[in-house]
Amino acid sequence: MTAATMITAPGSRTSSIVFLATLLLGPIIAVNGLAFIMPVLNLLMLSFRESLGGGGLGDAYTLDNWSSTLVDGFYIELIVQSILTSLMITILTLVASYPIALYLHRAQGRWRTILLVLVISPLLTSAVVRTYGWIAILADDGLINNTLKALGADAMRLLFNKVGVVIGLTEILMPYMILALLAGFGRLDPRVEEAAETLGASPWKVFWRIIVPLTMPGVALGCLLSFVLAVSSFITPKLLGGGRVFLLATEIYDQAIVTLNWPLAATLSMIILVIFGAALVLYSRLLRAVL
Amino acid sequence: MQPGFLSIRSLTKRYETMVAVDDLNLEIAKGELVAFLGPSGCGKSTSLRMIAGLAPATSGTISIGGKDVTQLAPYRRDIGLVFQSYALFPHMSVLKNVMFGLEMRKVPAAEAERRAREAIAMVQLEGREDRRPAQLSGGQQQRVALARALVIQPSILLFDEPLSNLDAKLRDEMRSEIRSIQKRLGITSIFVTHDQVEALSMCDKVAVLNGGRLEQLGTPNDLYERPATAFVASFVGRTNRLSGVAEGDCISVGGKALRAPGASKGKVELMVRPHRMVMTAAGETMPDFGSEPINSIDGEIRDVYYAGDILHYEIDAGGQVMSVERTTSGGETPVSPGSAVNLTWRVADTLVFGAAQ
Repeated sequence: MTAATMITAPGSRTSSIVFLATLLLGPIIAVNGLAFIMPVLNLLMLSFRESLGGGGLGDAYTLDNWSSTLVDGFYIELIVQSILTSLMITILTLVASYPIALYLHRAQGRWRTILLVLVISPLLTSAVVRTYGWIAILADDGLINNTLKALGADAMRLLFNKVGVVIGLTEILMPYMILALLAGFGRLDPRVEEAAETLGASPWKVFWRIIVPLTMPGVALGCLLSFVLAVSSFITPKLLGGGRVFLLATEIYDQAIVTLNWPLAATLSMIILVIFGAALVLYSRLLRAVL
Repeated sequence: MQPGFLSIRSLTKRYETMVAVDDLNLEIAKGELVAFLGPSGCGKSTSLRMIAGLAPATSGTISIGGKDVTQLAPYRRDIGLVFQSYALFPHMSVLKNVMFGLEMRKVPAAEAERRAREAIAMVQLEGREDRRPAQLSGGQQQRVALARALVIQPSILLFDEPLSNLDAKLRDEMRSEIRSIQKRLGITSIFVTHDQVEALSMCDKVAVLNGGRLEQLGTPNDLYERPATAFVASFVGRTNRLSGVAEGDCISVGGKALRAPGASKGKVELMVRPHRMVMTAAGETMPDFGSEPINSIDGEIRDVYYAGDILHYEIDAGGQVMSVERTTSGGETPVSPGSAVNLTWRVADTLVFGAAQ
């Protein structure tokens, strides 16, 4: 081999890889650019426009939407409440899903397939239908309250308040959480658990010292997914909250569709995007810490 | 039987369709290293898991140091177990891995760390305390696993095919290291393996298991020289087999009369170790066995294999194929296939078993 071919061979290889990569990534870059980046930029621009009422937009650019949102006690409260409610839903979803995911991870053969289908099956019906299902269960004369009354207990207010929203969203997010947990349980090894047992760890210690740390990648992924879905969901909070539970997503809907104040809706949307960004940063930090 | 430090009585493990361990009785003295040897599926690993408490026994008892532990959970048994797959905690450093057992025993942190560092030094891994298991080679990982099991000073140390995932050279090294540490600390140990060289070279005693049953428990020398069953004779070391019909100490094999120690009757199987047979070709001088009684048969060389240190001959002796070895001394020409040869061995080296099935 001559010196010339030795130099050009790797070079031409690199350029062909660059060409191939461009070819393969081209379609997704185009789709993402047109369907995601452009609208988001558009939204960002919109948040600096003036609202003229009745859906009209002023020509001038202004910081009013941002300044009023970030100073107004109502919106700050709204943002804090949205984050706290979503965190609570995320934690409840995790607690409810973790044992199911752990059991599924250990199940074998046909039994595992059946259980997995059962876990995924709620995703086959729309969240709207499932939300109406929850209304039937949680309503004042619904399944739970009728049962309570039959038992002689006092009825509870479970619908059109935060309790209803939290219960409904927790159940709706569970399939996503379980799938994310399962995806992150790869490092669990029954031999490692046995090793801990032979070294004197009680089942309780094995769970906290071995199983929990080894499943942290799944927990982090599931929590990120649930949190993002909880913050951005609006149908379930709207129906189960009955207009009395105010969250960012429902407020955006109201501003955009009812009040027709698009710049304010755009500003709130950008704030949600910032919250997602923060959640993503937290997730990657956490993942690096546990791996 | 004298009750041992580890005493296993009528231990049985039955699954729905099969019996994995069938009425196992075993007494192991304090400080002994005993191998559980057998082909895969013989019940050796299941037995070990029952001793560790990881698999419940169907019936029978296990006692350690006079205390019945059959119903105890693994974490109450005070045992150390070294796994084939190492089973280190991937999210902990080497030091934390080794300290884990001490932490569970509520040893104060400072003392736990001191003892863990000692154990790590014992397996020659100083300087790697802060590494994660994934950053170590297979051999180093198994050393960590060994240190982790040793540091808690268990009353019994169990090894479940610990060397099977290592390459040959590392395996030899680890073998002698495990043996010397075990001897130094005097820990009663069980070593499960399917590798007979491992069992014979490392262990004080070997328990040969087959089909869930104990075939023989004895010293490596017992197993090799005085195998109790045809299975042990053929599983431990290599053998030549001949079938014949016995009448007293005289056995007729294909019309030829051979002799064997001890009397038997009916169909029997004779076994002779290949290296105990002496092959004499035409023109070579017959070996001198002195006054020892010998057996002798004629045959024809079928094949020769050169293995460096030995020449391996395959000989057809009246329809039965026998292997014989000769040490190479350099410069000799192998006896060529087709040559007529004579095979001679001492009567004392002839093993006789009742014909199987």
